[in-house]
Amino acid sequence: MEIAQGNDLYTEELTLNMGPQHPATHGVLRLVLRVDGEVVKDCIPHVGYLHRGVEKLSEFRSYPSVMPLTDRLDYISSMINNIGYCIAVERLMSIEVPMRAKYIRTVLAELTRISSHLLWLATHALDIGAMTVFLYCFREREYVLGLFEELIGARLTVSYPRIGGVRCDITEGFLEGVKSFIRDFPRHIREYETLIDQNRIWLQRTKGIGVISGEEALRWGLTGPTLRGSGVNYDVRKKAPYDAYDEIDFDVPIGKNGDVYDRYRCRMEELRQSVRIIEQCLDNMPQGDILAEEAPELDMNPKGHRVLEGEFSRWGASIAFTNEYATVPKGELYSAVEAPKGELGFYIVSDGTGRPYRLRLRAPSFVHASAIPRLCKGHMIADVIAVIGTIDIVMGECDR
Amino acid sequence: MTIRELIKRALFIEILQGLALTLRTFLSRPVTVQYPKEKRPVSSGFRGRHAMVRDGLTGKERCVACMKCAMVCPSQCIYIKYSGGEGGPRVLEKYEIEALRCIYCGYCVEVCPVNALVLTEHYEYAGHSREEFLFDRDRLLKNWDDFWAQKGGYFNKFWRPTGIDPKRLPVGKR
Repeated sequence: MEIAQGNDLYTEELTLNMGPQHPATHGVLRLVLRVDGEVVKDCIPHVGYLHRGVEKLSEFRSYPSVMPLTDRLDYISSMINNIGYCIAVERLMSIEVPMRAKYIRTVLAELTRISSHLLWLATHALDIGAMTVFLYCFREREYVLGLFEELIGARLTVSYPRIGGVRCDITEGFLEGVKSFIRDFPRHIREYETLIDQNRIWLQRTKGIGVISGEEALRWGLTGPTLRGSGVNYDVRKKAPYDAYDEIDFDVPIGKNGDVYDRYRCRMEELRQSVRIIEQCLDNMPQGDILAEEAPELDMNPKGHRVLEGEFSRWGASIAFTNEYATVPKGELYSAVEAPKGELGFYIVSDGTGRPYRLRLRAPSFVHASAIPRLCKGHMIADVIAVIGTIDIVMGECDR
Repeated sequence: MTIRELIKRALFIEILQGLALTLRTFLSRPVTVQYPKEKRPVSSGFRGRHAMVRDGLTGKERCVACMKCAMVCPSQCIYIKYSGGEGGPRVLEKYEIEALRCIYCGYCVEVCPVNALVLTEHYEYAGHSREEFLFDRDRLLKNWDDFWAQKGGYFNKFWRPTGIDPKRLPVGKR
């Protein structure tokens, strides 16, 4: 019997379907991999399995009613989506938000960032093989979600902010909860680091994987910790401050090598910075109103919002409405916030009525998904999982 | 690589540290709640099953058919039919909430001028058919009775949100 030698050996590239129901693709992401042995030659991401038409739906709802839809974009950091949307509409309507509302929002945005990064760390570590980190992260994340529940009555889809402020004031119980959380949390961060920071398996799985230079990352449009891991100092909270971030002192952690490990380090440092921001916000929390005077009503007419003349009396006797509608100014506006995943942008086109003529979402996950082929080319199949984890995509936001 | 690093690598120091932490956690008190046997308390204002408040005086619902909840609902899952109006009071004929479409944002509770609608703290209401989740008026009132019997009182902080000037709320909410 002859055995084929050298050039006669028949090899073929294999096309492999990863997803859309793969547990490690963080949702319904489908990757078509072209593999040579175990080396990935090419990778085509297919998105759209979770498309719900949020942009189109929002064209048929008044501005306040669009907000619950933004909860469902990046459903693990829904508070920041809400805040980002509210800020965009506030800028469109030129509403000045009271200071107290700004500080409350900043605290909640950072709590959301912590909970989102904890979920990222948990699943990223689980995908690579560290089961214990997963359990520990969910322990703390549960606590943060419990705080949200105490504040607003929902754990994930919060719908807490309002255009022009927030829905209700924070309670004493919530404040105590946040204080005890930020007291304990640095210890928990050290726990996670004890488990994986120097672990040789973790280092071998993450160092030198998915390397991208800062310049190239910028050209791909990456933002957030994914970009900062490559050493580019870009953070919307610093470059275009919103809410209370311009009054608060915090650092933006920067990586060096642009590999999976550096992005991991960046996010871990961001957890610490978030604790720092929350501490400062709680110390300087001003008193006062939580909703701006000129904030639109929740039941704002899609044509515009109603102008009330006179006052509601105690007995409801002399209510006078004018038939005019104070409409939203016409124009276009782009406004961005720093979501845990990256720059979350809202581009609103207003035609003067009470609903957006067009709402375009710049979802960081969508942009990051396009960089998956670049990041995993030439690596092993197992590293594709590490790459998906490191860019931290959520398909709800990617497909919208 | 220095000698110290070499020793660290040879003795699996970082792995042992991790294992020590796992052992410490193993000996500490578990945080898991054994769900069907024990339940964690929900906080007040939790957004669960819908109910219509039964008025203590009239024994009927409080709804005045102002249509605000149906207008503001982002998933448009509230259907209201009324007769009357034009000078006289509106009479509610049909009030339905399709609970499977509801996204539990709580806008209907917040916008209601007479506090007629609540999202109760009851969250275990799985069913076998879709029809069970089309809550009509009687079902919504029954939900309220069940909740009232179970809880024996209700305080919803979103009927009158803290920190907002009461003057800005509708008359029925002050």
